[in-house]
Amino acid sequence: MAMFLQLLFTGMGIGAVYALVSLGFVLLICAANIVNFAQGDFAMLGAYLLVLGLNVFSLPYPVAIVLTILLMAIFGVLFAGATYWPLRFRGALPVIISTIGAQIFLENIVLYLYGPVPQVLPGVFNSPGFTVGGVFMDSQYLTILATASLLVLLQYLVFEKTLLGKKIQATNQDKEMASLLGIPVVFMILLTFAYSAALGAVAGVLVGPILFVSVGMGGSIALKAFAANIIGGYGSIPGAIVGGLLLGVAETFGAAYISVPYKDAFAFLIVLAFLAVRPQGLFGEKVAEKA
Amino acid sequence: MKLLDIENLTARYNASDVLKGISFSVEEGEIVALLGANGAGKSTTLRAISGLVPHVSGGLRLGDTSLLGLHTEAIVRLGVSHVPEGRRVFPGLTVEENIILGASNRKGLQKAVLMREVDEKFELFPDLVRLRHTLGWKLSGGQLQMVAVARGLMAKPRLLLLDEPSLGLAPIVVQQVFDIVTEIRRQGTTVLLVEQNANIALSIADRGYVLETGKLLVQGTPAELWGNSQIREAYLGGASAA
Ligand SMILES: Nc1ncnc2c1ncn2[C@@H]1O[C@H](COP(=O)(O)OP(=O)(O)O)[C@@H](O)[C@H]1O
Ligand SMILES: [Mg+2]
Repeated sequence: MAMFLQLLFTGMGIGAVYALVSLGFVLLICAANIVNFAQGDFAMLGAYLLVLGLNVFSLPYPVAIVLTILLMAIFGVLFAGATYWPLRFRGALPVIISTIGAQIFLENIVLYLYGPVPQVLPGVFNSPGFTVGGVFMDSQYLTILATASLLVLLQYLVFEKTLLGKKIQATNQDKEMASLLGIPVVFMILLTFAYSAALGAVAGVLVGPILFVSVGMGGSIALKAFAANIIGGYGSIPGAIVGGLLLGVAETFGAAYISVPYKDAFAFLIVLAFLAVRPQGLFGEKVAEKA
Repeated sequence: MKLLDIENLTARYNASDVLKGISFSVEEGEIVALLGANGAGKSTTLRAISGLVPHVSGGLRLGDTSLLGLHTEAIVRLGVSHVPEGRRVFPGLTVEENIILGASNRKGLQKAVLMREVDEKFELFPDLVRLRHTLGWKLSGGQLQMVAVARGLMAKPRLLLLDEPSLGLAPIVVQQVFDIVTEIRRQGTTVLLVEQNANIALSIADRGYVLETGKLLVQGTPAELWGNSQIREAYLGGASAA
């Protein structure tokens, strides 16, 4: 039982990271109808910025984290300007290709600056954690779960309970109509990009101390986030969250009970199973039309 | 005084002109009907006014302000509210949320004032009261049209642009909607009304213009337009004058 709970705890923690990246992914699908291949690199860049802030500038941890997230939000706007804006009237595909270009570009820039050697990030708290009923509560996993829950709650409140959230939703549903009502559509889209990048940065900053910080981390997280998106339902916000958690738990149990080397394969087995049995995902939306 | 003044306006989406130099005006307080067959350029005229057509030239003024080259959002802030073809009610938002968003062009509006005005819209459209928290995609055509008009009015427009409000509605609902348009005008809003259904449009309009493939063919009061037999046959749906 303790083993089961331990795996569940760990799986939820890693799943929460996938959920955050997947959420950022879905928000851009909704706001701009783009599939952002560089979504995982928001996490990678966030982690590297934290490394920079802590190791090079010796900033206090909280300051470095806040700065990282702010910088990544600004980066999100620049990213929109470079990949989405010039191609926005050309349909979805050119923008997707340009995000692939951005992914290659960003990863190589970081590779050039930092080299291939993975970097190490310390955890948020000095204490490693504590044990409850035989389950070791790692402080970093706890931090991940708490932060992710808080962010999801906050996002729900903003989207559903504020006028700003309604304007973002209106923009997502019908841009031309939104502008006919005087809603600043461009601002809403840029805001979504900023938030999406910030979410990625949060994920990167949180997962950095667990994994090594490496150039390739973005790509593998993005794959999981995309898989989470398929499982949850393409373009669905609750789907991104539930899909991410499910994936994290599934691969953790798979690694523990079946095979460690094939850990990553479980994610894709589940995706294949979903595509075969329930292609619209858990919170199904019209996959065929959008894909 | 002219509220909307259009002079030799041309508009195109790509290579060829959809509007080929049209001139007309709408006086403060009027209901003006823009009539014409499908594809004549009626919607394009409204879209050009709202800044939604990429290539527009000529004169386009709201009061003393030229609208040419302004962004849609700036035009709405100047007091032009456009209820487009197809209603375009946000499907994933409730009736109330749709109506609230209609006031997005008004900066610094107090919440209490906003909600009072929303309540006024529900008084204007009592049928919507029980649908207040219903999502847009669940509404019928007539209900969508009412939400679209209510939302358009939340902008407190000086000029309301209505694109085919009768389209696809049962006759009794059409009458309801047009009664409300008359009421809106009585309360002081100027209306530019696009319709294929000339009968109903001319029953409430002060003046009408007939558009044919991007050119204005004729203008006049409803009586004058009905009196022109050629026009009546060709553009006003035969001799079935109301
Ligand atoms: N977005 C668009 N892109 C290209 N051509 C368009 C567009 N919208 C309308 N048109 C063309 O402009 C002409 C006038 O259309 P429209 O203004 O919608 O007419 P109406 O509203 O009178 O039926 C039509 O020939 C139509 O094909
Ligand atoms: Mg039309």
